[in-house]
Amino acid sequence: MKKNWLIIGGLAVIIIVAAIFLIPSQKASEQHKFATVVKLSGLAWFDRMEKGTLRFGEETGNETFLLGPPKADAALQVQIVEDLIAQKVSSIAIVPFAPEALEPVLQRAMDQGIAVISHEASNINNVNYDVEAFDNAAYGAHFMDQLADLMGAKGEYAVMVGSLTSKSHNEFIDAAIARQQEVYPDMKLVAERVESYDDQKIAYERAKELLKAYPNLGGFIGCAMTDPVGIGLAIEEMGLQDKTAVVGTSLVSVAGAYLETGAIDAISFWDPADVGYVMNAIAARILAGEAIADGDNLGVPGYEQITLNGKVITGQAWIDVTKENMDQYDF
Amino acid sequence: MKKILRSSEFFVALVVMVLCIIIGLINPVFFSWENLFDLLRSGVVTGILALGCLIVIVSGGTDVSFATIAIFAVYLASKILIAWQFDGTVLVAFLLSAAIGTVLGLFNGALIAWFRLPTMIVTLGTSSIFRGAMLVFIGTFIINKLPQGILAFGQATLAQVSNANGAVIGLPVSVVIFFGAAVLVWLMMKYTMLGRGIYALGGDRVAAERAGLNVIGIQLFIYGLVGFLAGISGVVHASLVRNVNPFDLIGTEMNVIAAVVLGGARITGGRGTVFGTILGVMLVVIMNNSLILLGIPSYWQRAAIGVLILLGTGITAWQSKRESAANLLES
Repeated sequence: MKKNWLIIGGLAVIIIVAAIFLIPSQKASEQHKFATVVKLSGLAWFDRMEKGTLRFGEETGNETFLLGPPKADAALQVQIVEDLIAQKVSSIAIVPFAPEALEPVLQRAMDQGIAVISHEASNINNVNYDVEAFDNAAYGAHFMDQLADLMGAKGEYAVMVGSLTSKSHNEFIDAAIARQQEVYPDMKLVAERVESYDDQKIAYERAKELLKAYPNLGGFIGCAMTDPVGIGLAIEEMGLQDKTAVVGTSLVSVAGAYLETGAIDAISFWDPADVGYVMNAIAARILAGEAIADGDNLGVPGYEQITLNGKVITGQAWIDVTKENMDQYDF
Repeated sequence: MKKILRSSEFFVALVVMVLCIIIGLINPVFFSWENLFDLLRSGVVTGILALGCLIVIVSGGTDVSFATIAIFAVYLASKILIAWQFDGTVLVAFLLSAAIGTVLGLFNGALIAWFRLPTMIVTLGTSSIFRGAMLVFIGTFIINKLPQGILAFGQATLAQVSNANGAVIGLPVSVVIFFGAAVLVWLMMKYTMLGRGIYALGGDRVAAERAGLNVIGIQLFIYGLVGFLAGISGVVHASLVRNVNPFDLIGTEMNVIAAVVLGGARITGGRGTVFGTILGVMLVVIMNNSLILLGIPSYWQRAAIGVLILLGTGITAWQSKRESAANLLES
């Protein structure tokens, strides 16, 4: 009998503790609710994006919030979107991990009158608009130009993507490889594209494995924000700063230490805060019944004259950072 | 001799050796010091976690919270050390993180020992609570500027080799921690009353109680120790990747449990050895870090991992089935 009470007591404790954690997430509100769903919560990249969505919320008096799954998994993103539909949000801005996995649930969201905006998913169907900071092909070709410049336009290079299903990462790399074949015939791609699962430790381990398998490897392009950092750590530990070029997408806050030592040569990024702001601004225009047209100004630098192609809105918003200008960016 | 040939460890060792020989034949780099160091480095964190996991599995339980405890402990410990502006020895970081881990582990242990709740349910629940508490109360940001002691520890090496390319590959000092912990756990499991009690508990709880073992005390000790080891492994992980990301490690528990089970521990308890666990960790680490060396295209790598897991577990499972049939015949 005493045991039973203990069990009931234990369960009660667990339920109370669970309730404490669950209650804050069920705030009710009357104005528009703008949700933003990212690939993975807690990454510096998406924390920065949150700043943009919050700024939009402050300026317009709407409730904006950003959330994402604790690990990069398409199924978890689907769950989050389902929860948001149940909560009756006004709009969902989403950075999909695997666009095709989200199509059905996004269609349901649109059927309910929710404005759906995606980012980094130009092939997705069930959205009102997709926002791209820039033309992916131009961005990828630009990586190859940087890399060729650092490598003297010759030698072996490897490419890393966050996941093989990431549309944008693969578009960067398609364009980079096309550029190399066209303009830099003395460069050679090894090992196809390597997958890092957006994980720095995996990027590090794959970089080391690549350097073992291809001892003459002279350069890397890393597409996910954590790729150049993992690669840079490997390069720095091995003392190959001067022999191996690393370029890719990252942020100064995470890659800064490696830019300083030369383990990473250059990083590029678009400001995720601007993207967060722009996605919500577009959602607001849809909710207000306004259409978006080619050449519109969305009120954020880099998106002052957007290109509209089908559903895809493209800005001109990438930023290059090297050791020299890294101190201008605090994120 | 016959006993050795029939043990699960022997079969795992055989699988590891065959795998190594095959990989080495395809790419001789596999048998270099460089690669050995890299594999050891990759295996350290998994290995320390696996030791804790082994003890739980031997006792007849399943713990799925240790990875969360590991990152919780090191994240909180780093925050505290940064707040103190502490830049001294890494030992303080280890002590602090291990203490936090032990407290969290004892929380699991208390629920399990006193309320006699199923271990997997408890740890599933607490891992969610710990993660939620970490993200709500401690933070979600990646810590990039770790205390100097932790960074210095991560960069310290036991030995270094250079390859033909002039790159330096070091063997991190943390390998000592893994092997030290392995020896201690082995001694405890084999030669102390406590260790024998853990086996007895996993073999048959009722029999263990009737034999006069203090089951509650043993369970508290087990989960406290798992938390302790998790806290240690958290600091090792942080020192190796040079930052603390609150989303790291979480999700690796399945890999660790797989390594322990591959190493011949019986999931229902009562059987498992440190040596087998080390072999299991080797198997998992080698599988995860050799696909580029093997030249397997990225698109095939997931399939290749699946095939290797099926082969690895299939052979050991088949062997243990044969073994238990043989035991029945003999008795």
